[in-house]
Amino acid sequence: MNGLMLVARREITTQIRTKGFLIGLLVTALLVAAVSFAPKIFGGPTSYTLGTVNSQQLPLQAAAPDAEVTWRSFPDENAAKQAVLAGDVDAVLVNGVKVLTDGEIDPQLGVLLQSVNKETKLGAAGVSIPPLQMQSVGADTRYEAARAGIAVVLVLLLFMLLMGQVMMVAMGVVEEKGSRIVEILLSTVRPWQLLGGKIIGLGVLGLINLVTIAVVGLAAAMVSGLAADFPPGIPGLLAGVLVWFILGYAFFATLSAAFASLVSRQEEVSSVMTPLTMLIMVTYFVAFYTTNDATGTLATVLSYVPPFSAMIMPVRMAATEVPLWQVGASMAAMVVAVLAVLSFGATVYQRAVLRTGARLKLGDVLRTR
Amino acid sequence: MLEISDLRKRFAGGPDAPGGKVALDGIGFSVRPGEMFGFVGANGAGKTTTMRIVMGVLQADSGSVSWQGRSLGYDERQRFGYMPEERGLYQKMRVAEQIEYFGRLHGLGPAEAKKATDDLLERLGLTERRSDAVQTLSLGNQQRVQLAVALVHDPEVLILDEPFSGLDPIAVDALATALQERCRGGVPVIFSSHQLELVERLCDSVGIVSAGRMVATGTVADLRAAEGNSLRVVVRDPSPGWADGLPGEVTVFGDRHTLRTEGGDDQEILRRAMKAGHVEHFGIEQPTLTEIFKEAVA
Repeated sequence: MNGLMLVARREITTQIRTKGFLIGLLVTALLVAAVSFAPKIFGGPTSYTLGTVNSQQLPLQAAAPDAEVTWRSFPDENAAKQAVLAGDVDAVLVNGVKVLTDGEIDPQLGVLLQSVNKETKLGAAGVSIPPLQMQSVGADTRYEAARAGIAVVLVLLLFMLLMGQVMMVAMGVVEEKGSRIVEILLSTVRPWQLLGGKIIGLGVLGLINLVTIAVVGLAAAMVSGLAADFPPGIPGLLAGVLVWFILGYAFFATLSAAFASLVSRQEEVSSVMTPLTMLIMVTYFVAFYTTNDATGTLATVLSYVPPFSAMIMPVRMAATEVPLWQVGASMAAMVVAVLAVLSFGATVYQRAVLRTGARLKLGDVLRTR
Repeated sequence: MLEISDLRKRFAGGPDAPGGKVALDGIGFSVRPGEMFGFVGANGAGKTTTMRIVMGVLQADSGSVSWQGRSLGYDERQRFGYMPEERGLYQKMRVAEQIEYFGRLHGLGPAEAKKATDDLLERLGLTERRSDAVQTLSLGNQQRVQLAVALVHDPEVLILDEPFSGLDPIAVDALATALQERCRGGVPVIFSSHQLELVERLCDSVGIVSAGRMVATGTVADLRAAEGNSLRVVVRDPSPGWADGLPGEVTVFGDRHTLRTEGGDDQEILRRAMKAGHVEHFGIEQPTLTEIFKEAVA
């Protein structure tokens, strides 16, 4: 156990001191913060500037509480026309009967003006119309947009972190094999300690990244007010994502170490890793696709199939309410897959890591002892 | 006592060797505390495989390795020092941290590892380079770090695979001194080398391995005695056919004829040589380790 922890600690301290790690962490933190502020800067609520000529202001604010409405009044129609053409106002109500615009009116504004105008006139004539009550009998879709957005961000995050850390594992394994330092290491620690320590150490670094991103993202979202649009259950979702990252990472990192142990030179890493990087990419693309259709058959089925579940279940969890038993079943399947991969990966690693020289074939390694 | 007995190892065959390759075919020898054991043999004879098995890096098919009467496990090997043939260090890790790390892996506590590292750096003249990355060091200094990694935990047994290869004569002397120090402290030292003069100079005993078998083991003196002394006579410009009927072999280099023989009447040979020409050399010679080695593996 001591050996395992020493190996893990070396991985962490060595990496954490590199400029690359710190810069990477800083850049992701800034990116996440920027993303959290972006809607406030670029989007924001709709705002209308409207003018009046010889008219009463319409009570638009009551009908559209989210919109910002500013009124200006003009002395005559000509002044109003000029203001409309200059783009100073979106529309001008003239004599309470017509609306001047530059080109077609914004459809939302048009509907809003018409309906509020009717309501006011009818109200003046003593007719009061109770507003329609809206009631959804389906799922709660209030947060659909926010949920889909969160799902997309999560998938991208999981993909980048998994890919990054998995490649680090591969390069670390080849570094030790290529420099033959593995021979000294294996005379003092057991192969599973060396392999496990490396995977744990680099996994902790991945978690540091993930937690930093989550904390910075949440803090920035609260400051920017974006958090107000978040659906309930965000803490649970984040906890779930952490677990899924750990499971997905354990799965891919173990395979990565096994594949990497087949080669002795850094130049060969990317080619030997191709099948694995393809698998991660495919998982990512499928997961990304399911963000559009998180309740569809593909998403539902693949959210139980390792290793796809590592990214698709988080998508479902973000996009809809997933019953706890489904998450549990999917996690259980993934845990079984991770255990199988661990036993396979440790076997390959143990047999291949001392056989330096030409690239080994996986089949040969599995056949021979 | 480190006892290695009847190690056998067969490597699985690839496409070019379908039946597999027998690497070790019953290797056995023992090394006492304070004894320096030279392990010699041609490339591919099985030296490295034997050492890897002793260090637990490879598993033998059969046979055993024991230290002080107990068979070796991970706990015992933690107290061994090992320098593999293929040197390896973390190139980007700092010198002192690297040595400390291996000290910790060998079971030292944090303070112990730090103290041992400081001492070693001092002794190896690397104190000033302690915070430098290994890759910035010269090859000679990297070798010293490699040695420090093998010595940091004050090992009970030292196993070194080709420790002298690639070193300049001064570095060879420094390493030899370091090993002799450990040896005098009661540590059994096993090292392999192709530099047979060095082995002859340093080692108390020698094991010669060929094709996975020990073909000779013993002290250098024992091996010499077994090999037998030889008589060497050098005659300049002798009359032709002077050595006809004498035992041994004659080699000719320029006008110098050298007769080498392990038997025969030395006085008769001397008389014949003096009659034939000018005798430049006449003497009994002990075989060198190189000769013993060539004879043993032939």
